[in-house]
Amino acid sequence: MGITPMEIYKLLPKTNCKRCGETTCMSFAFKIINKEKKVEECLPLFEESKYEKQREELLDLLKPLEEATETGLIVDESKCTGCANCIVVCPVHAAEDPYGAGIGYGIKMENPILRVEDGVVKVENLKICRRYGKNRILCVACRENCPTDAITFLEG
Amino acid sequence: MICTGCALLCDDVIIINDSGNLKVRNACRRGAKLIANYKNLRADATINGKKVNYEEAIERVKEIINNSESLAIYGMDTISIEAQKLAIELAERKEAYIDDNSTFCLGDFVEMILKKEIPSTTLDEVRDYAYVIFYWGTNPFHTLSRHMSKFTYYPRGKRRQRGYEEDRFLVVVDVRRSHTAKLAKKNAKFFEVRDDLELIQAFIDALDGKPPKIFANDVFRVIKEMEKSDFNVIFGGLGLRYGLKGKYDKFLEMIRKMNERTKVYFIPLGCHPNMRGFNELLYGITGYVNKYSFKDKESKEDFAFYNLLFEEKIDTALIIGTDPLNSLPFEYAKKLAKINVIVIDPRENFTTKIADVVLPSAITGIECGGKMKRIDGVEITLEPMIEAEIDDVSIIKSILNLIMEGI
Repeated sequence: MGITPMEIYKLLPKTNCKRCGETTCMSFAFKIINKEKKVEECLPLFEESKYEKQREELLDLLKPLEEATETGLIVDESKCTGCANCIVVCPVHAAEDPYGAGIGYGIKMENPILRVEDGVVKVENLKICRRYGKNRILCVACRENCPTDAITFLEG
Repeated sequence: MICTGCALLCDDVIIINDSGNLKVRNACRRGAKLIANYKNLRADATINGKKVNYEEAIERVKEIINNSESLAIYGMDTISIEAQKLAIELAERKEAYIDDNSTFCLGDFVEMILKKEIPSTTLDEVRDYAYVIFYWGTNPFHTLSRHMSKFTYYPRGKRRQRGYEEDRFLVVVDVRRSHTAKLAKKNAKFFEVRDDLELIQAFIDALDGKPPKIFANDVFRVIKEMEKSDFNVIFGGLGLRYGLKGKYDKFLEMIRKMNERTKVYFIPLGCHPNMRGFNELLYGITGYVNKYSFKDKESKEDFAFYNLLFEEKIDTALIIGTDPLNSLPFEYAKKLAKINVIVIDPRENFTTKIADVVLPSAITGIECGGKMKRIDGVEITLEPMIEAEIDDVSIIKSILNLIMEGI
C-alpha cells in the first residue's frame, strides 16, 4: 500500500510554524511525497523532545519512500511472474516501440522504462515515464494491470 | 531463441552471456528459470538407482523391452516432433500402448479441432482481429504468463490498434476470483460460476431468445458485444474440460449457435510445450489423438496410461519427459513400483528415483533442436543454445535399432 499525505500530516507537529518554508504542514506533507522536501526540514519535529515518538513513527512510515524510484514506483520482484502486462500496456512503450512492446513482443527499443530480465520486471529508465519531471501526469496503467500487486505507487 | 517453458513457445527471448552468468531477457519467470538453471539437477544414467555408463543403461533397456509383453509409452509432451515420431514408430513395432498427458489435459478439445467439429484459429490472428476474448476455466496469468500480454488482450494488432482500453472485451469464467479475473475491469466481465453447464445453458437460452436462468443481463450484454465484431475467441482450460463433465455436445451446441450470429473460434489452453504436436502426429498416423493401442488398433478410455497402470495391464512403462509419480494420484502412481519403469528425462525427478533404468537426455529447445507445435497448432523450429551429443532422438533411435536386431 502506498503512503498518503494525510498519514504523514497526522505525524507532523500540525502547528503551521512555516519554518520549513511552506505555509502549512499539509503542503509540507505533499512535498515530502513528491520528494521536493525532506522530512529533516521540519525543524520542530527534530528539535523538540515532545515529538520524539511521532518522529520515530514518521521515519518508519517513510522508509519505503527511500526505496521508491523518482516517480514513486515500487517493484516487488518476489511477486512478479514476468507476464509483461505492464510493459505492453505502457503508453510510452506503445508510442516509442510500436513493433516491439506495442504488439506484445519483447521490447525492442533502447532504454525502455521497464524490462523483463531473469523472469521479473526491472526498472531501467524512468526519465521517459509520464510520471517523471515537472509536467507529470498520474498514469497508473502498469499498476492497474498487475493482478499480483508487484507494482505499487507511493501515493497508493 | 525459442523458450520451451510452456505451450506459447515465445520466440523473442534473448540470452546474454555475462561471463558465465546467463541473463535471460523477455522470458517470463518460468521460462527464465528453466533456461538459466538448465545445468542444475541433471539426471544420471542409472540401473536400479546405481550410476552406470550410458551404454550399459541402454543395453538394459533393450533387455527389458525385448522381454516385455505389454509395453506402454507415456509422456512425450516436452520433446520435439522428430523424437515423438520415433517413439510412435517404437510403439508400432512393439504393438504397444501409447499415451500422453493430453488424456487428462485437453486432448478431447484438440481432437474436436482436428476433426473440424469446432472452428479454431491461430494466436497471431487473435492478436490482429479478436474483439471478445473468453478465458473459460483457466488462469493464464499463471499457466501461460505471457498469453495475455503477447497474443490476446493487451497487444495492439492490425484491426485492434487501440489495444485493451477500447478494442478488446475480456470475459473471464471461473469458479473463483483468480488473478486473471482480477484483470477484468473496464470493458470486461467476470462470471463467477458454480457450474459451467449452467452458464452454457444460459448462453444457449439467450441465443434462442429465451430469458436465461442465471446472469440474465450480463449474458445478453456479452452476446451484444460479440455481435459487434466478426472475430471472437474462446480459450478453454482444464476448468472447462472438467466442468463440462463429458457433455461436450452442449458446449458444441453453444459454439454452433454463437456462430450463427457472429464468428467465434476456440483454442484450448494447455501448458505442455508440445502436447498439440503429439496429438496431431498420432492423429495423422492412427486417426486418434491419444490413448491408443497398436495391438487393438483403437483408442479408448481403458488404454489411458493411468487406467493401464491401475488395472495392471502392462509390465513395462517407457516414460519420456514427464513425471507421473508427481502428476498422477498416488493410488495410480504407486502401481509403478510393480512394473519395469524406464525413464528418459534430462532432469532428476520423483520418477527417476524409482525407475529401473534412467537414460539422461537433453532439454529440448536449449540443448537440442527440432520442431514443436504451439498450442494453436503453429509449427515452430527451435533454436537451441548448444547441441548436446545425446538427445531424445538419438536415444529413441538407438533403442529402436537394438529392438530391430532382436526381432
